[in-house]
Amino acid sequence: MGRIFDRPLTRQLIGLAVLLTVWQLAANAGWLNPLYMPSPLKIWAALVQLFGSGSIWPHLAATFTAALGGLAIGVIVGVILGAAAAILPVIAELLEPVMILLNAVPRVVLAPLFVIWLGIGLASKVALSFILVAVLIFFTVYTGIRQVDRKLVERVITLGGGRGTLLREVYMPSVTAWVLGNLKVAVGFAFTGAVVGEFVAATKGLGYLLSFAQSTYNAALMLALVLVIMVFVLLIFAISEWLEKRLTRWRG
Amino acid sequence: MLRVIDLALSYGTTPVLEGVSMEVEDGEFVSLVGPSGSGKSTVLRAIIGLQAPSAGTVELTIDKRAIGFLFQDDALLPWRRAAENVALGLRLRGMPTAEAMTRANEWLGRLGLEGLGHRYPRELSGGQRKRVALAQVLALEPQLLLMDEPFAALDAITRARLSQDLLKLVEGRHMSVLLVTHDLEEALALSDNIYLLSRGPKARIAGQYPVPIPRPRDIIKARTHPEFGPLLERIWQNLSREVVGEPGKGDEWAGFSIGL
Repeated sequence: MGRIFDRPLTRQLIGLAVLLTVWQLAANAGWLNPLYMPSPLKIWAALVQLFGSGSIWPHLAATFTAALGGLAIGVIVGVILGAAAAILPVIAELLEPVMILLNAVPRVVLAPLFVIWLGIGLASKVALSFILVAVLIFFTVYTGIRQVDRKLVERVITLGGGRGTLLREVYMPSVTAWVLGNLKVAVGFAFTGAVVGEFVAATKGLGYLLSFAQSTYNAALMLALVLVIMVFVLLIFAISEWLEKRLTRWRG
Repeated sequence: MLRVIDLALSYGTTPVLEGVSMEVEDGEFVSLVGPSGSGKSTVLRAIIGLQAPSAGTVELTIDKRAIGFLFQDDALLPWRRAAENVALGLRLRGMPTAEAMTRANEWLGRLGLEGLGHRYPRELSGGQRKRVALAQVLALEPQLLLMDEPFAALDAITRARLSQDLLKLVEGRHMSVLLVTHDLEEALALSDNIYLLSRGPKARIAGQYPVPIPRPRDIIKARTHPEFGPLLERIWQNLSREVVGEPGKGDEWAGFSIGL
């Protein structure tokens, strides 16, 4: 019986339960202004309402579409540009300053611009997700290729390998490993892009619901939404971690 | 088999080698010894064509593809299993994958790694990885084997066993070998001929010593051969006179190991 308390998870869960109880009791006692800090049960009720009525699904679908779309296009474009810059110095000269500038500012400042350019629909959210992810992947691939283990390259050459073999046996697996290593960060970025984009201007999505909750001073809904976003991002984290483990089993 | 004539080489404006001449006969085991940083590895890299010489020539009586190169570190492809790493060279020479894998596993077996072909490099010990790297090179059945301090990172026992296994394979297949090492005793136990490279920069051949110990050899028993001790001492003395400059300056010996 004492065994179970030795595990960190058990202690963390107990801590959480204590926090929620104290929070609920403080709310019941009237110490917390319900307008700012709704009780855990109120937040739970908002969650039940969201899922029970089914009203959350179109918003979740919108956010996921924008995030995963931006993620996919961002990874593809980032890999292509990063590889091109690593192989052709001319492209590196042209792209590096742009990427450094894009990397220097918080890229979410582009959100209003994308709304002007692409409207308040899905496209502006995908674009924001895309730009967040593409810059990250560009640098991953660009610096990665230039740091490929020279010894591996030389070994493959002395075994009789040419350019094609180097690409297939050394560069592609290396690039895949780096991209997968950064996949979790990229997923986080993609969701940030989608939610912030929706927050700025949209008719659907979790970000839109957040902005709606803010304008109606509905703190319970807001906290419920934050919780939903956390759970779904953690879910995607788990999937990308599984994918990374599976595809880079050689790394152990 | 291989003749290096007046080889000179610089890294940028820094001269590394100057007038290095040496020869490897058919079926001969030759060692190139010298202090660390003298440019021993550079000689090998120039022979295989990874480094362009600034002067001199490398003459080969065999095709360049018949040269095997064993690197100092075991740079195996980490995302390929042991057998796949060994099979890579065979596949690059046009062998169908299935046949290459069979051959690769045979070679792993020959090097004492039976049944470990499915492991990834990180799942193998340092000595095992070295054996995989050796199998990778030997599977191509090279006529000339170039080795750059292949056993430097291994512990003494692993090193002795691996050297013995390698020697048996080399003697059995009438392969020519050029071994670069800073371990004089290792060089003596394995080779028919030892070249001494002087300290860099502008390293040159400072001496050549035939080793009159008969083959096939046992690398431990070779050390008890009556010629072993005197020859070791002679090379060591010449080394101090010709390579280090002033004899008796202790710190100058840094990087040179006599492998006691």
